[in-house]
Amino acid sequence: MRKSNLADFLVLVTIENKPFVSDPEGETILRDLVVKGGYSNIKSVRSTKNLKMIITAKSKSVAEESVRKMCKDLRIFNPVISNCTVKAMLGNANSTTK
Amino acid sequence: MADLTKDESRYLAYKLNREPNKIEKEIVAAEWSEHCSYKSSKRFIKMLPSKGKHVIVGPGYDAAVLDVGDGYVITVHIQSHNHPSAVDPYGGAATGVGGVIRDIISTGTRPIALLDALRFAPLHEENNEDGSSTSEWLLRHVVRGIGDYGNCIGVPTVAGEIEFDPSFINYCLVDVASIGFGRRDSIVRNRANYDDLIILVGGPTGRDGIHGAAFASKTYLHHNRSAVQIPDPFLEKLLIEAITEAVEEGAIKALKDLGGGGLSCCLSEMSDSLGKGFDIELREVHVKEKGMSPLELMLSESQERMLIITDHLKIDNIRRIFDKYELKYVILGKIKDHHNLVIRCNEKIVANMPSTIVANAPLARRYSKRPAYLTTLRLDFTPPVTPSNLTGVLLSMLSNPTIASKDWIYRQYDHEVGLRTMLKPGEADASVLRLNNGKFISVKLDGNSKQCYIDPYHGTLGCLSEACRNVACTGAFPIGIIDHLQFGSPENPEVFWSFRKAVNAINNYCKFMKIPVVGGKVSFYNETSKGPIKPTPVIGAIGLIEEKRLITQSSLKDGNAIFIVGTTANEIGGSEYYEYVHHITGGNVAKVDMNIDRLNLRSILQLIDKNVVSCVHDCSKGGVAVAISEMAILGGVGFNVFIDKIPNSCSNIDSLLFSESHSRYVIGTKEPKTVEKILSGIEGLVFSRICDAYKEKVTFKMKSKILIDTDLPAITTNFKRLEQIMTR
Repeated sequence: MRKSNLADFLVLVTIENKPFVSDPEGETILRDLVVKGGYSNIKSVRSTKNLKMIITAKSKSVAEESVRKMCKDLRIFNPVISNCTVKAMLGNANSTTK
Repeated sequence: MADLTKDESRYLAYKLNREPNKIEKEIVAAEWSEHCSYKSSKRFIKMLPSKGKHVIVGPGYDAAVLDVGDGYVITVHIQSHNHPSAVDPYGGAATGVGGVIRDIISTGTRPIALLDALRFAPLHEENNEDGSSTSEWLLRHVVRGIGDYGNCIGVPTVAGEIEFDPSFINYCLVDVASIGFGRRDSIVRNRANYDDLIILVGGPTGRDGIHGAAFASKTYLHHNRSAVQIPDPFLEKLLIEAITEAVEEGAIKALKDLGGGGLSCCLSEMSDSLGKGFDIELREVHVKEKGMSPLELMLSESQERMLIITDHLKIDNIRRIFDKYELKYVILGKIKDHHNLVIRCNEKIVANMPSTIVANAPLARRYSKRPAYLTTLRLDFTPPVTPSNLTGVLLSMLSNPTIASKDWIYRQYDHEVGLRTMLKPGEADASVLRLNNGKFISVKLDGNSKQCYIDPYHGTLGCLSEACRNVACTGAFPIGIIDHLQFGSPENPEVFWSFRKAVNAINNYCKFMKIPVVGGKVSFYNETSKGPIKPTPVIGAIGLIEEKRLITQSSLKDGNAIFIVGTTANEIGGSEYYEYVHHITGGNVAKVDMNIDRLNLRSILQLIDKNVVSCVHDCSKGGVAVAISEMAILGGVGFNVFIDKIPNSCSNIDSLLFSESHSRYVIGTKEPKTVEKILSGIEGLVFSRICDAYKEKVTFKMKSKILIDTDLPAITTNFKRLEQIMTR
């Protein structure tokens, strides 16, 4: 039986290279696809990796904290080169698709 | 920040006859760092023999050039990327591959193979507070970094070596070597004339990797440094193709890779070696981000960049080729008739120094003292009782990740792209590559930090002997040695003592064997929170095979008679048996008798030349028991060894089985009588027929008593241990 104060949260994890670290994938997309394709008003592309997770937790902050800890413990990102942002919202993966 | 010592600052001011400005000081600090200047090691490295009939260009350049006949050459270079790989294993290992590849391109040859020698802490070492294993994480990402980069640029990773030792805790050694191939007449001769153009080509310059060379020259303490570099293998691939094309059109007069120290080191070294002055305008540098200072532009270690010198006649060829590959290039400046390195930013001179001063750091005086640990090591040591279950010991030895199959690693590498690979990784003791003139080269890297720790001199001799044995096993005669000497801080007299012993060993071995040392690197300041790493010289041997029929692999065939060449002694210090099974560090390290080593190597090559052997395998880590098992696993057959027939001077059975005495080879043959006849004709050679290969049983018998009793499936399963660990 689940306690009533628990809820499902959708947690969005975004991993990207730190601003001073280069991003060959983003640079290539900008140079060879976007700009060559005629969208020269676009100035920068940075690639990121996104993970969507559903977690049962007491609150938004608890959900974010436990996902943040998991990413760190399991080395889902390398803190030396990447930033990892974690954002939780109520609901599940389906609720984000329109 | 990189710093000059007080003495160096004084010396610089004295040489310049004035005080340097801030930018000049920083440029010199980068170039005078240990990493770029070899200031501690130069006077010792210079003594190594570097001449030989195959050597066209020896040590001291971006890559060594060896003549392989018929107008063709191979080039070879080795370097490590230890510090960057320890903080970012994927990017660090990948950019290490990129760097060594550019050193090969710098000679005007095309890279045809990569080799890697890796060192980590044991995988089961639970070295994090949270229980996860750093060494597993490092291994996984280092392998992926090497594999991804090599695969993207279409250069096969053909051979390697790996060792696990607790001294690498929270650290790793990532050594990468590359082989290039080309025509002798198209080697870039590195020359320049007045008014020639200096061109920077490749990736944009950013703030990444600033002070990397200085970072590598300081004891490794801080994890969170910005000295990380991001690999872009597709850009490197364009560089390979564009430069190869420009070399073919004769459009390149001189060429150099931008590595540690960035533009500072590249410009000063090139200007000094050409004997020509450079006038550089930094405003021209294409940048990643705005507002970079002249100092940042000079020190940035952004990857995938090269410096080219061409003249006004060929500049249109350069433009056409680089435009075709969509490579960004800029004319940085011109060759002048003075001997200075003049750096301008928006026409204003920001640095102006004679290149010879910048490129030639004052040598550092380092003291050496025999390490105190060497005395205590021997005292603590008590020989263990021979285990009753020797079958269990053999199976455990085979599952030791240092010995076990490296299939999990090389499966992630494309080892066949380019269609030159004659023997796949794991099939033979060294990798064999086809050249265009009907000849073949054999290459292998070897190291042994456990033995080099207990006895730096004999440990290093052992690495040399093993590397030469490995190429000889494939049918090749060694024509060149490369070395990569990795130690802790040279300012520590005990570390420096070990370094000098290792150099002495290389000097003595190569002079005796008449094999030139064609290239090498020194990497100091490899320290962890627990102190200096164990001394780790990694030795690479390059062998030449004249004909295809000589290529020999190491898998045992059903019905083969098995011979051993060489004597087994009580030499078990630093062996995998002591360290892995008994956790003992100490004892007698295997010593190389160079006369015997040369005799045995020549005898093996003679047997291969007479076409009488089916397989040859070097007997090293894990001793004779492991060597025969490895051959059997590869060939899918069993064997029955009569232990008392193994020539030995051992006092107990475990040292006979697992001792790592050098100069030993295991041979499989279908013609035992002929082999016996040839070997008996060689004066002073010790050999013996010890068993036959048959069926699936694996036994070691002493007289009639069976000491080890197992079978092929059991040894094969245990040999797959590394894969089991990494995929669990």
